[in-house]
Amino acid sequence: MKWLRLALQSAVMLAAVFAGVRFAMGRSVVSVETWCPFGGLETAWSFVTHRRFSCAAGELNLALFLALLILTLLARKAFCGWVCPVGALFEWEGRLARRLFRRPGFTGLVRVPPRVDRMLKVVLRLAVLAVVLTATWTTGELVFRGYDPYYILFSAHGHDVQVWSYAILGGLLLSALLLPMAWCKYLCPLGAAIWPFAVAGRLRLARAASACTGCGACDRACPQALNVSGVTEVRSGECTLCFECTAVCPSEGALELRWTGVKR
Amino acid sequence: MKAPLWIVPALIVACTAAAAGGARLFAAPSVTREFAAAAQGTVSRRVVFVVSGVRCVDTAEGAARQFSGVPGVLSFAAYASRGRVEVTYDAASTDVPALIEAIEGPVYDEATQEFRFGVYAVREVDGEKVDQRSR
Repeated sequence: MKWLRLALQSAVMLAAVFAGVRFAMGRSVVSVETWCPFGGLETAWSFVTHRRFSCAAGELNLALFLALLILTLLARKAFCGWVCPVGALFEWEGRLARRLFRRPGFTGLVRVPPRVDRMLKVVLRLAVLAVVLTATWTTGELVFRGYDPYYILFSAHGHDVQVWSYAILGGLLLSALLLPMAWCKYLCPLGAAIWPFAVAGRLRLARAASACTGCGACDRACPQALNVSGVTEVRSGECTLCFECTAVCPSEGALELRWTGVKR
Repeated sequence: MKAPLWIVPALIVACTAAAAGGARLFAAPSVTREFAAAAQGTVSRRVVFVVSGVRCVDTAEGAARQFSGVPGVLSFAAYASRGRVEVTYDAASTDVPALIEAIEGPVYDEATQEFRFGVYAVREVDGEKVDQRSR
């Protein structure tokens, strides 16, 4: 499963690079933005009120966003851990940081107290989402393209990408070394938008206390730095069902994927 | 109830396929223009272009302006995310080559008060690729 996830992440990333370069070279009229589900949310207001799309967004963005909501209701943040190329990049950077700084888990050099971490995940990310949506819905333009790591990375120096865009990207890449997945945890507006759906997600990892040895390998393997070994069911809206925890668990049957609300 | 791990990638593939297949349900234009009402007896035809340069609402509006004043053009609709432009025209007053000439013509930039060339290029006409080298 680990290799399948890596293959899917790599394939999506390569496809995004390929699409961006082809568009930049004038070989294709379809830009890399066409495949972004967040574009669907950005254009939702314009679509509902005027039956028109904002800026470069189109029907595929909207369909992908709705499909993402359904996926999230079933499989939590699987999109973030299996598909999103920005999430993949920051996760790989987290792995690099773990080796560079010889850290046992995805904790990074900067330690954020749990209370602050929880507050930032909710308040800061929702604030980013509110600002982006307000600006986009009122202007009808994708005004935050120049700040969006997905667009900066994969548009091959697309429209709206300026020198400062690369400075922002550099800052985000640096922050991911110090604090793994910082963008995903504290800033990603798409993550904020799907978070309530992820909390309600039906597929969850369950830990059987009777089979668990309490070694903590699952905690150290979790790219989101979730506390897996201390709960009977991973209910966090940040779980991407990446199965890094199940892959390292030495005790068979200690961690299982379960449908919640469905009796045997 | 226990679930197999493969259910997650299977759900991802299913949702992506459903989005790709169902996107057409939400098809809506980025820009529409009505240039003239078709007179009685007009033989109106529709042609679909794929145009590089049409990538957002602003550039689609620019493409629509290329047709203002062109005789025989009745309506215009652009789907920016796909670079798709649909033009309805009066077959007695104009034809497809004239429409291509109109959209690929110089674009007046109000900000610089200069004409810009090669802003729009027609890549496909009614699903047929246009060979750029032979033009």
